[in-house]
Amino acid sequence: MKEITKYISAYYLDEEDLLSGIKKMQENNVKVLDAFTPFPVHGLDKVLGIRRSWLPRVGFIGGTIGALTGFFFQMWVFTEGYQMNIGGKPLLAIPSFIPVTFESAVLFAAFSMVFAFLFRSRLGLGAENKIYDVKSTDNHFVVVAGYEENKSDDVKEKMEAAGATIIEVKE
Amino acid sequence: MYVSPQREPLIKGEKDYATITNDVTAPMAGKPGKYWFMGITISTTAFLLGGVATFFTVWFGIGTWGLNKTIGWGWGITNFVWWVGIGHAGTFISAILLLFRQKWRTSINRSAEAMTLMAVACAGFFPLIHMGRLLVGFFIFPYPNTRDVWVNFNSPLLWDVFAITTYFFVSLLFWYVGLIPDLGTIRDRAKKVWQKKIYGFLSFGWVGSARHWSRHESLSLILAGLAAPLVLSVHSIVSMDFATSVIPGWHTTIFPPYFVSGAVFSGFAMVLTLLIIARKTMNLEEYITIGHIESMNKIIIATGSIVGIAYLTELFVAWYSGVEYEQYAFLNRATGPYWWAYTIMMTCNVITPQLFWFRKIRRSLVATFIISIFVNIGMWFERFVIVVTSLHRDFLPSSWTMYKPTLVEVGLYVGTIGLFFTLFLLFVRVFPVIAISEVKSVLKTSGEKKK
Amino acid sequence: MEQNMENKFVFDSKIKMILYGMIAVGLIALLVGLFSEGVVESRFWANLLLNNFYFLALALGGTFFVAVHEMGESGWQTSIQRVPEAMGRFIPFAGVLMLITFLFGIHHLYHWTDTAHHDEILAGKAPYLNTTFFYIRFAIYFAGWSILSYYLRKASIDMDSDADIKYYKKQRILSSVFVVFFAITSSTSAWDWLMSIDAHWFSTLYGWYIFSGLLVSTIAMIILILIFLRNQGYMSHVNKEHLHDLGKYLFAFSILWMYLWFSQYLLIWYSNIPEETVYFVERVNNHSTIFYVNLVMNFVLPFLVLMTRNSKRMIGVTGVVALIVFAGHWVDYFLAIMPGVVGENTKVGFFEIGLTIGYIGLFLFIVFLGLSKASLIPKNHPFYKESLDYHTNY
Repeated sequence: MKEITKYISAYYLDEEDLLSGIKKMQENNVKVLDAFTPFPVHGLDKVLGIRRSWLPRVGFIGGTIGALTGFFFQMWVFTEGYQMNIGGKPLLAIPSFIPVTFESAVLFAAFSMVFAFLFRSRLGLGAENKIYDVKSTDNHFVVVAGYEENKSDDVKEKMEAAGATIIEVKE
Repeated sequence: MYVSPQREPLIKGEKDYATITNDVTAPMAGKPGKYWFMGITISTTAFLLGGVATFFTVWFGIGTWGLNKTIGWGWGITNFVWWVGIGHAGTFISAILLLFRQKWRTSINRSAEAMTLMAVACAGFFPLIHMGRLLVGFFIFPYPNTRDVWVNFNSPLLWDVFAITTYFFVSLLFWYVGLIPDLGTIRDRAKKVWQKKIYGFLSFGWVGSARHWSRHESLSLILAGLAAPLVLSVHSIVSMDFATSVIPGWHTTIFPPYFVSGAVFSGFAMVLTLLIIARKTMNLEEYITIGHIESMNKIIIATGSIVGIAYLTELFVAWYSGVEYEQYAFLNRATGPYWWAYTIMMTCNVITPQLFWFRKIRRSLVATFIISIFVNIGMWFERFVIVVTSLHRDFLPSSWTMYKPTLVEVGLYVGTIGLFFTLFLLFVRVFPVIAISEVKSVLKTSGEKKK
Repeated sequence: MEQNMENKFVFDSKIKMILYGMIAVGLIALLVGLFSEGVVESRFWANLLLNNFYFLALALGGTFFVAVHEMGESGWQTSIQRVPEAMGRFIPFAGVLMLITFLFGIHHLYHWTDTAHHDEILAGKAPYLNTTFFYIRFAIYFAGWSILSYYLRKASIDMDSDADIKYYKKQRILSSVFVVFFAITSSTSAWDWLMSIDAHWFSTLYGWYIFSGLLVSTIAMIILILIFLRNQGYMSHVNKEHLHDLGKYLFAFSILWMYLWFSQYLLIWYSNIPEETVYFVERVNNHSTIFYVNLVMNFVLPFLVLMTRNSKRMIGVTGVVALIVFAGHWVDYFLAIMPGVVGENTKVGFFEIGLTIGYIGLFLFIVFLGLSKASLIPKNHPFYKESLDYHTNY
């Protein structure tokens, strides 16, 4: 997500007003860039045109790699690396390998997804993203829109028409 | 989304989004109260006691424990299984209840998940100390070494290493991912500069962008989908430590699901014990309502009854099997020298939770608190019964013996309880006990005001 | 077809004819089984037991589905609830058919009924495994199941004409009683009718394993009936969300079934005690194809196909998987029953398939008759509205 330096922000106190407000702004050709909310608002991704996340696929790939690594590593240890007769079981004791295979699948899937999430969202220990307004983590739903030179008043009016409570212009 | 008026509100009182933020962050901003200091003094003392016991064990060796040639596993494994079991409620609440769309989980999931992490840490301590030399504890992991030896992937004890490690890390990820938005909230409320710095650092730069939320929700769901079978697998694998053997009373196929059910049972009991105190001292009664307590009690009675059926199934099949050793093992449990442990287990796990069939008792704080303590005790004795009574009557009658814990073993156990409570008390000071953003997301549909 | 005012299913002659045809096929198969040389008596009775048990399990699963959701104060399922409720109507019919099977075939099915030849292990089990007690338990199970499921359905239907909340409360009480009764009897009936076939063998997990199969096959059946009803123009309110939720159940319970299957297998394989391993040795060595087909149909396929959100939301895909799982659990019961009763030479021929078609016809006939007698939607259920207006994000 690129940092937006020149923007107008509109504030709402209710998620339903936010959704209808954004729709209205979009109808009036306001370029809505992003919205910042204290909790996930259902339907917001549809309104803003955010595609479904690819994280499940990352998880699937991670899990598959984990399962294969777990299984073949055990297989290698018992048939090549360190052959040992344990309780008369065959060297390739597949049922015995299932628990570790499963656990490594889950471990790989979870880590790959979380890292993909952090990387994709530019989040991480000590990461400093621009905080558009501290109120957005409390009780305000903030819409951030871009504007062209000298047209801020126009956008402002349209935001007012869309029912926003406070409107601020930042440069 | 429509919610039937038949349902009890999950958040009481006149609340809006700002009051939720204030209510949850308030206890963190002020100075800790008298009870907190009392609690932390007691728990750190207990923890230090455990330190002393650890010193004795390491310095003088496992001989300081009450184990003998017949009973190789005593308190250590009992406590291990007990703690792992307690660690099951958190991830059950956050993963399985999320998948079942149980909204009431939002008020309790954060603290329950924290308890999971602490309980698993306490559990991990016991196998480590039982190995004696703490410094070479990493031998249990498969890594290329000069001895040219690999770990034994055929052993359930090694499966345990993988299961517990995975469980700890996945629970940690799940917990922390959920915590990130709330840490952002605290960062934006923090008054002191150093607080802002630290929470800013921990919050990973969270700003609450719609794109972030969209991915965050997707991530939480898939993590829940992964954690749900993981919860089942962990205690199943713990149960296999026993069930893969040929010891009468241990080798029974019902163990995996029955242990899982028992784990959730004991975990919820511990969550109840702590939250009944926490909601009172931290003024969270409007968030953790009687309705929440009742829902947890329903899970207690469900899992407790499943455990009860498993006990009876074991008893019946031991007789039905026609294997005299199996039959003796169960007869000896109930009527042998450890009959008292068996009686405590049966009373606390099967009989007292049945009181929750009555709505009045389910919704009574005092009764719930007492029964939850009973369940904690009962589930400890369940593990003790399984471990000790099956071992103390060996195949060779000349090896028959009794087991009694020593002070050092008791000290280790008390030490982990101290560790658990110390960590929990620290947790309530520095992190929000309630998932702020998640509670906000259900306020509209399940808050009292909207009704 | 138009939705009629009362939202009732019209059991028209076209559907009836098809079902009569299916039942006729079943009857022909039954006659073939009785008079053909190829169908030995043990094979004949084993198949009757298999189908009886399977369709009884579906009926019980229907009632259990309703009861457990009522207990859990769940809302989403209310608008499809009439289907599992109607499935529960088959319980007493299954009871009659099962009684006939046991009255004539018990000696072919259970060798513990043969008390003439002394067997020390079986003598030890005699206080439980004897025909008198067997029939007493049989009577208790069917009395409890039939009565509770009848009144549970009745309370639900009574609610249609009277919006009083007392019916809902009654439903919840009956649900609790049923779940508690079923928690015990689901295990004991599985021991009685399936585990005691291999009378020397025992496994504590067996009852729960059979129960998990019951759960997943019930979900498959509900999905199939719902798809049929939708194709006939009913239940227009049932949308992708309901199907998605049922698909999730199908996916999750397939994993649960696999988990229990594997737990039982692993522990027996690992400990390697001959009196326990005999069960799997018999099945792996003499029925190896079915042994692996069972796992593929009931776990591998549903797991891989239903993993994505999209496939759970596609009626066609979920329907096909439900069909596979439905057939898969027939295979699972086949593997549970046949080796013990018939031995090594098990076959799947016209007799097996025809008889199963007959049972499907009979089961559906009873279910559709039930659906046609009451509204398809419990409009006065306190959570009914929730079931219409909800969407799953996951």
